Amino acid sequence: MTGRDPQARRAATLAALIVAQGLCAMFFVGDVIADIGVDVAESRFHLPLEAFVATVMIFGVIYFMIELRRLLSRMAEMDTGLRAARGDMAGVIERFFDDWELTPAERDVALMVLKGIDNETIAAVRGTAPGTVRAQCTRIYGKAGVDGRAQLLSVFMEELLAED
Amino acid sequence: MGTIRTSDRGRAGARDIAVWDPLVRMVHWGLALSVLVNGALTDEDGIVHEWVGYAALGLLAIRLLWGIVGPRPARFASFPPSPGAAVRHLGGIAGGDRTVHLSHNPLGALMVYNIWLTVAALCATGIMMGSLRFFGVDWVEEAHEAAFSWLMISVVLHVGGVLFDSRRSGVPLARAMLTGRKSVPADRPVV
Repeated sequence: MTGRDPQARRAATLAALIVAQGLCAMFFVGDVIADIGVDVAESRFHLPLEAFVATVMIFGVIYFMIELRRLLSRMAEMDTGLRAARGDMAGVIERFFDDWELTPAERDVALMVLKGIDNETIAAVRGTAPGTVRAQCTRIYGKAGVDGRAQLLSVFMEELLAED
Repeated sequence: MGTIRTSDRGRAGARDIAVWDPLVRMVHWGLALSVLVNGALTDEDGIVHEWVGYAALGLLAIRLLWGIVGPRPARFASFPPSPGAAVRHLGGIAGGDRTVHLSHNPLGALMVYNIWLTVAALCATGIMMGSLRFFGVDWVEEAHEAAFSWLMISVVLHVGGVLFDSRRSGVPLARAMLTGRKSVPADRPVV
């Protein structure tokens, strides 16, 4: 599921980088530990250099971690925003249906029409004859004051795109 | 993190909640892999065994840092080690409580800290065994063996706990550690 969207991929890449760099840092730290107490001529510069590299890499890891946390919280916010928009849209649809005084059966059919389900399928889902669904649709369009499916949809599209 | 979306393809009436970020998952499976490799595959006295040990220590260090800077479910504050809470949790299980915990449940939290401490002890004694000062010292070697035995017991308990809690809570926990999302049945209270 990590490949679901670009942001999730970015998060996974960042996490992989953190793991890789963390392990590299660990390698240097391990080498520093192994070198302590070993008296080699070159270790006078070797040890401080390794310690420096390890420190730089650890700071890099922390920096990446902060970036990853930011990215994750942005993703969470977007998710919440989308859900809120979806929730609002459901509310808007309900309000229109109330205004048009649709019966419960008509609301059911209207919602399926909005979702783009064809009449035969709606009939099958509701266990009624296709003719019944067609009649219900006609009543829905009449109550809504539109000509058909496309116009019914446009009522809600307009609501979505309206600027005020 | 911690966001909810109704699952489109999952089970009907289940909420998918993002809990484990990619870093938590990579560290988890990386650590599991390094335990498996070092416990079963590598030569105990070999250099590969040492490298894998250092890798495990590195993963642990990453996770500990992430427990401070990471998002909420990954943070230590979301699963404090509390024996009292664990006992209450056990009582709740006995009483048929089916609350779902978004981070680790109190028992699982204890297991997490236990495994981290055990891995840390393994790494520490392992490094000591390779050092000049402690090379061939008996108690260090014995401590390394003991820590490994304890780790194996812990892993069995951990897997058992995951299987048990997946059945009890109805949340497939192993899958959550793979996908990052806990799929919580709609009728379960969430903490």
